Amino acid sequence: MRNGGRARLLLVTLIVTSLFLITLDLRGVKVIDGFKQGTQTVLSPFQRAGSTVLTPVKNFFSDVTHLGRTRNQIEKLEAENAKLTSELINRKNADAQLEQLKDILDLAGTAGYKIVNARVISHGSSQSFSQTVTIDIGSNAGIKKNMTVLSQYGIAGVVKDVYPNSALIQLASDPSFRIGARIAGTQQIGILTGRGTQSASLQLLDNSTNVKVGDILLSRGSIANRPFVPGVPLGYVTSVDNSAGAIAQTATIRYYTNFSTLGVVAIVISASRSNPGDALVPVKPSVTPIPTVTVFVTPSPSPTE
Amino acid sequence: MSIRQISVATSILLMVFVIQESVVSQFRLPGGGFSILMIFALTWAVLSETEVAAVIGFAAGFLMDLSQSAAGPFGQWTLILLLAGYSISYIGFGDDNVQANAIGIIFFVVIANLLVEIAYLVIGALLGVSSGSFVQVLITLSGMSIWALLISPLLLPVFTRLHAMIFDSRSAL
Repeated sequence: MRNGGRARLLLVTLIVTSLFLITLDLRGVKVIDGFKQGTQTVLSPFQRAGSTVLTPVKNFFSDVTHLGRTRNQIEKLEAENAKLTSELINRKNADAQLEQLKDILDLAGTAGYKIVNARVISHGSSQSFSQTVTIDIGSNAGIKKNMTVLSQYGIAGVVKDVYPNSALIQLASDPSFRIGARIAGTQQIGILTGRGTQSASLQLLDNSTNVKVGDILLSRGSIANRPFVPGVPLGYVTSVDNSAGAIAQTATIRYYTNFSTLGVVAIVISASRSNPGDALVPVKPSVTPIPTVTVFVTPSPSPTE
Repeated sequence: MSIRQISVATSILLMVFVIQESVVSQFRLPGGGFSILMIFALTWAVLSETEVAAVIGFAAGFLMDLSQSAAGPFGQWTLILLLAGYSISYIGFGDDNVQANAIGIIFFVVIANLLVEIAYLVIGALLGVSSGSFVQVLITLSGMSIWALLISPLLLPVFTRLHAMIFDSRSAL
């Protein structure tokens, strides 16, 4: 009986402590932030080491996961694997990151963004139903909270928390992610919301206008460019919900960024003074015309001998 | 619990937390993946008496709240895992059908894992945390349960031996 009473007393004490912690956090007490910051500072070297050591294993699992979708690519890789040494695997990783980096620099250069590049060192746990990644630079490299994060194709997310040598990025696929969007060309505006997957939902603010499949979405931008700079490609419309009587028109969007393969990202430190407008709209692949030779034959009136 | 038990248990808990954050979190696993910290806490809760289970749940939840990927307010995981640890121990401790049976422990851990995630969603919804579409949540919950079912049998021998080593019990399977 005494043991039961002691256990219950302990339970009540711990419940009260938990509720106290929740209350402190919801009221924005900085002690809790300090706890998290200290933990992340301690963990980031382990995460860096883990990222470096486990990269080949991650690539293997990534290939297995995408088996159905990239069968041709995997077959090609299997043929090459016989020749590859561990040095070449490392080289391949570096090349892939370089390619991503090059595309990011192209994107940022076109819009005139000033960016800092970072490597993804950890993916957030899905146990909390959130979509996050950790990058290998933080406040020491000039990263601040609420900065736009780019991938090689467009939006990747936003800086959620900053630590001295790392930062937490909330991915655009996170269910609590919201961004003001506009449709390239027509300039219709709406709010894009993450869904936890590669797709997102768009809610247009004006119900009298029309959105169609294939329309491209760009970020509208925020006041003083925080958290979002204008003109960043977000994705394209894959379906439109035209249900009669709906208060606002909605559409499903597919992001350009593939969040499961993020290796390198760029954080926008400052945007250009002028709005890039539609300059970053991805160029559709154009078909190169192949010249065809047409030969006209006119039969002669009399047969030749 | 003696000071030796508390210090060794804390070290193991911290080690599991570091493995979770630096190794498991490197992989974006399909279906939401798994948390070895949660599986560890739930396994130990089944094997421990209520007081110890509550403390283990509290400590594991506190560490999960410290993780940078925790979306809800600080203390949410602490509260949920505290209650989960106490409840599991209350139901399972002393019952040989559960404790002396590996399948019983795995069953308890997997079901508890699912219920803990549902509790997290419900409390998160009450506190205003977005969790995504209903279908996506269902997929994630199913995925996490399948992962827990796959991973728990692999980790169970290690976790039960550690528990037996520290608490000098006969729970090693």
